[in-house]
Amino acid sequence: VSATSRPDGATKLAGAATYGEDVELPGMLWGALVMSPVPHGRLRSVDLAPARALPGVIAISAPDVPSLVDGRQGDPDRPPFPPDHVTYLHQPIAAVAAPSRPLARAAARSVRVTVDPLPVASDLDALFPEWPESKIDDPSRVAAHVLARRGDVERAFREGETIVAETYRTASVHQVALEPHACVADVREGVWRVRTSTQSPFGAREDTASILGLPEASIVVEGTWVGGGFGGKGAAFLEPYALLLSRAAGRPVRLALTYAEEFRLGRTTLPSVIRLETAVSKGEITGRRVRLLLDVGTSLPGRDFATGYSIGFLLGPYRTPAFEVEGYAVRTNKPPFGPHRAPFAPQAVFAVESHLESVARAAQLDPAAFKARHLWREGDRTPFGQRVLPFGLPSALESARATATRWRKDAPAGRGVGIGLGFWSTSTGAGGEARVTLTPTALVVVQGEREIGSGSVVVGLAQVVARRSGLPMEAIRIEHRDTAGAPFDAGVFGSRTVGALGRAIDEAVVQILHRLGDRVTPPGPVTLEFRDGHVMVVHGALRRPLAELLSPTEAAEGGLSAEGKHYGQGGEIDESLVRDGAFYPYTDFTGAAHVAEVEVDRETGSIRVRRYAAFHDAGVVLDLPSARAQIEGGVAMGLGAALTEEAIWSDDGRLENAGLVDYRIPTLGEIPPIEVHFIEGYPGAGPFGAKGLGEPPIIPVPATIAAAVRDACGAHVTELPLSPDRVAQDLKLR
Amino acid sequence: VKPPTVRLSINGQSRELAAVPPDERLLDTIRWRVGLKGTKEGCRTGECGACTVLREGKGALSCLVLTHDADGATITTIEGVGSDPVGAQVRTAFETAGALQCGYCTPGFVMALTGLLRERGRGAPIEELLEDLGGNLCRCTGYSTIVRAARSAREALP
Repeated sequence: VSATSRPDGATKLAGAATYGEDVELPGMLWGALVMSPVPHGRLRSVDLAPARALPGVIAISAPDVPSLVDGRQGDPDRPPFPPDHVTYLHQPIAAVAAPSRPLARAAARSVRVTVDPLPVASDLDALFPEWPESKIDDPSRVAAHVLARRGDVERAFREGETIVAETYRTASVHQVALEPHACVADVREGVWRVRTSTQSPFGAREDTASILGLPEASIVVEGTWVGGGFGGKGAAFLEPYALLLSRAAGRPVRLALTYAEEFRLGRTTLPSVIRLETAVSKGEITGRRVRLLLDVGTSLPGRDFATGYSIGFLLGPYRTPAFEVEGYAVRTNKPPFGPHRAPFAPQAVFAVESHLESVARAAQLDPAAFKARHLWREGDRTPFGQRVLPFGLPSALESARATATRWRKDAPAGRGVGIGLGFWSTSTGAGGEARVTLTPTALVVVQGEREIGSGSVVVGLAQVVARRSGLPMEAIRIEHRDTAGAPFDAGVFGSRTVGALGRAIDEAVVQILHRLGDRVTPPGPVTLEFRDGHVMVVHGALRRPLAELLSPTEAAEGGLSAEGKHYGQGGEIDESLVRDGAFYPYTDFTGAAHVAEVEVDRETGSIRVRRYAAFHDAGVVLDLPSARAQIEGGVAMGLGAALTEEAIWSDDGRLENAGLVDYRIPTLGEIPPIEVHFIEGYPGAGPFGAKGLGEPPIIPVPATIAAAVRDACGAHVTELPLSPDRVAQDLKLR
Repeated sequence: VKPPTVRLSINGQSRELAAVPPDERLLDTIRWRVGLKGTKEGCRTGECGACTVLREGKGALSCLVLTHDADGATITTIEGVGSDPVGAQVRTAFETAGALQCGYCTPGFVMALTGLLRERGRGAPIEELLEDLGGNLCRCTGYSTIVRAARSAREALP
């Protein structure tokens, strides 16, 4: 076993890992969705008769739902099938199940849907040509509005020596997990069971219960291996449809998206328009105005946190004495906005970092020094009045500046070097619980999550146990149960797995060690060791097999058990600053400074990234290979968002590039060498001072590339991605 | 008319598959008729490489092959690649380099690299090898560990 091999490596390399796509049950039918033919319209009729006439085909639509859920009423704001009104192209309006995949597809196509089309809202600029000069007052368009102010902003702008105002635009980007959404439902004897590729079995259960009006206790969600999540598999999606079909058919039903459907229906980052204005006097930022238009598509009630959370990142991790921030979450005829690895942060950071670069240049200041001077330090207050916890970003920036200086010296002529900073707060506030049993031969953790790829479950949780107990990895088993058998956990999202669920597990391990400490003579602290397949309790110079310390009851139960819980608390913001909507405190402070060297073809505008370095404050790193791997992967994903990735929504609400040829993610040859460095000494809220690392690596990448491109050729592109046509166009105008 | 029988050798085992519809894809035959789910379904349009298998020892995208067109073929999937000395080497290289995360693209990468190394041997320049591996997509790793695995698998060839 090498230092880099993973506990799940052998299973996955043998082709023996069962993902949501791979689940097969006896007698299983194949499901398919019937989708809206228009992006917006009044549904006149859905005629299922042609589908039902096919052999063995089950078909359901809105009128069938009440009887399938025994007359219960789900959340009226998000019915599984819209009763009379469709709001995005390909919105599910009926579902079918058939004995084979081709027949299911044919049955879905045979359903006759009649819709009266309505006008389509899609492009933000077309919808609000006068914004930000005029307010948006159409309540049917505004899903959420947030507004906060601090200090005398007007005065800062009236008296500012340098004023810079810019508008940035960012594209819709997709998660592109290689495994499409897939699940198999099996409803029988009052139990609604679904096996699914999900980042949150308990979240999927809660959503499904709310959508269908069922009690949570009647639903059992069993997670499978997850073929990539990146935020896209966090909430219930296909599960309610598959469950309804299974209930109707009386047999298991598989429902999976095709890859084109994955693009068309996926809940992901949608376009934004960002207006930024900054006033500077005597080299100091004195005032900021931030205005955000964020497309949230067919907004889902209760999920509009996006605006209030995202807009905070547009102030950046910088001291700002006076500010006004205002954001609109705008409804359009697109699928619902959903989380995509560090939701909206790479986009916000691209805008704010590029803007501060412009501000520093306008004030004739060195951009990196200007940013460094304004960066929060531990103990400072954020613009919203929250105290900054240990924060390694200033130190990361110092290291990045040293690297940038070195690279500038030895880079061939025509190349550019840029720095980008990214700040993030991980979701360690979301709660988790776990059950730990120490047996004479292993330490067994029972919990509710499945591995999504990052290693946070199979490596991260095990490393927490190893550090606390002293046991080696081979003596630690991380086991999962379905939602009926596992203690609650919020999900594998928000870079929280190790930081929150890991804390719950750690607490349980500590309880066990304390109890053992009371049983040795004299009582005192103990650690564990693993010898010849047996757990040994180490007390000073003494070692005893665990088996000798167990009571007869414990021995009969298999070992010593404890339950751990962690429900974290965020900081507090100064609510008196908030005029409308909700803003959110940060639970911890993590960040990274990245450096890129690029070469730009001035004719075509195409960009080659030649080398890349990432400096991360990840608190205390628990597993170096996994941490490095997260950064390498996150940087690659960020390069996609910076350079090529753009889900192109037409003015009439169609996704024009629903496939991997036209929506281009990075390929193997396009990734430069990536240096990875960890900035230590700034512990976080996780076990042993760990900070989450799933999301942070993607955040600074578009900003970093934009800065390097500007350094290389002067192009200041204000729209993501930095596609060749945008770069070439900007150079032509310059 | 009942579609004719298709004969395949999969991982060294002969299979006679009756009543295979004429438009069935090799990917679906392997996964749902034979029941070997290690071969992954990604895009189903030949763009991601997750469904790569060996056909007569060479990498092939099973989502683009009609099963009837593969009649008589010798197929190796991830479940059987360990019996091939090159395949075993490739799997070891992926494991030691930690060249996987979610693992969904992994079978396709292992099969594609095994096919390339079998075809070219260790004499092939690494740049060419990596260029040809560029048809397989991975969203988790950023490819760095996969490149490391490819280099060490090539080095380890006899």
